[in-house]
Amino acid sequence: MPETKKQLPLVTESNKAFWEAARRHELVINKNGEWVKASGRGEVFTFCIYRQPFHPAWANDIPYNVAYVKLEEGSLLMTNIVDCENKDIYIGMPVEVVFDDINGEFTLPKFKPVK
Amino acid sequence: MSTKDKYAFVGVGLTKLGKIPDMTPDELAIQAINLALADAGMKPSEVDGYIYQQGIGGGLGDTMPLQMAGIPASLICQVASLGSYANMMVAMAICAMESGMAKTVLLVHAASAASRRGGGMMGGPPIASTPGAYGWYGPGATAACMAHRYMHLYGLKREQLGAIALTLREYANQRPDAIMRDKKITMDDYLNARMVVEPLCLLDFCLVNDGAVALIITSAERACNYKKKPVYVMGYGIDHSLRVMNKSPEAIHHFDGFVASKAKEEAFGTAGITVKDIDVAEMYDAFTIFLLSQLESYGICKKGEAGAFVEAGNLKLNGSFPSNTSGTGLSWGYLMGFTQLTEGIRQMRGEGGACQVKDAEICLVTGLGGMVDNGSAATCTILRR
Repeated sequence: MPETKKQLPLVTESNKAFWEAARRHELVINKNGEWVKASGRGEVFTFCIYRQPFHPAWANDIPYNVAYVKLEEGSLLMTNIVDCENKDIYIGMPVEVVFDDINGEFTLPKFKPVK
Repeated sequence: MSTKDKYAFVGVGLTKLGKIPDMTPDELAIQAINLALADAGMKPSEVDGYIYQQGIGGGLGDTMPLQMAGIPASLICQVASLGSYANMMVAMAICAMESGMAKTVLLVHAASAASRRGGGMMGGPPIASTPGAYGWYGPGATAACMAHRYMHLYGLKREQLGAIALTLREYANQRPDAIMRDKKITMDDYLNARMVVEPLCLLDFCLVNDGAVALIITSAERACNYKKKPVYVMGYGIDHSLRVMNKSPEAIHHFDGFVASKAKEEAFGTAGITVKDIDVAEMYDAFTIFLLSQLESYGICKKGEAGAFVEAGNLKLNGSFPSNTSGTGLSWGYLMGFTQLTEGIRQMRGEGGACQVKDAEICLVTGLGGMVDNGSAATCTILRR
């Protein structure tokens, strides 16, 4: 059986600037059609913890979190919270961006608690 | 021009619900159509409109059910498989009849969600997906994120979500055709149930089943020619969170509640009634938290008060706002928005059996599910007997 891999981000004409910036370890957001650098700080807006896998590639990660972070600039961003136990995540928790180079091609912006 | 009371449901056809691996969605649909025609006492040749929705598991073909049932429909239309579309299909049928495009319309939903589920969501090739890259799969995550927000903002307790699950299960325990008829649950069962996407457990999720339903709607004049007492459509409404995207970017995710005000204004405006006039409600319940949130977005409770409202027993048969009287998606059977529409019609006919709301005259039916995310479109239909 072929190994089931995690899905990679879908890069399109309208979001490729975001993923190119992430590869340079920069977080950018779109403001009125223009990509501008974001502070990288925000807070957890909401989150959930997966207790069962909905995709086989995530089976070994159970339990894992998926969160929406509200950036200082106001945007909501889907992400994972890292460097933190799932039980310690709370809504309103101050977080800052870190960059996870998942392979040679892609970097996922994730967020860790501000210490 | 108002369509109030101009159209009515005259036929309901429902197959068995549960795991039915030896029937395809087409076959389930044909059975439901024939049952609906028999229920109305209508000849197949009298139907000239067909709007259908294939549920999870898919496979409901275009015209096969029509050929098999001998229905010469000229209006044939498939809509997306989303929980808000049952009520949109009511709106589409009425618009088709208003324009003269059709005289009598069949609305059909058929699914093999239990027997033929699969595809991308459950694995498959690793095609690109940004949510997938973060491990975000299925509508349960949206519901779980919504529940977390609600807990944070208003102190929602798990017991209050449990009260929804228990209330609906008690209804289903009294309904002969409910999948969960024989399975009783207690609050301990709820609190100890397996977590799926925290903070939601298995009993916060709707059922996954096969089954089909067919509903027949026609003009009020024609409706008197059939066997059953007509159930009239007083009004309908549709809203979508895209409408408020510019004003409130958070609303698009509806983590802090559903955008339903336009649906409510349209439907209640046409019907000329208020929420106080509702005798029974059938609200979309893919997840417990969805039902809770709609109690607020339709103005039945104030913001933050729905948890206590449910816990106090208000949704029960003897409560102030009897709701989801078949046990609906959580405990009766999940046919997307058709679960609620079907039970709404039955209540207005007085066919609710042990769960019939006494003397009920007006019923609110709601649906959720849209383009952006599960729940981003809110729809409703108001029925009367």
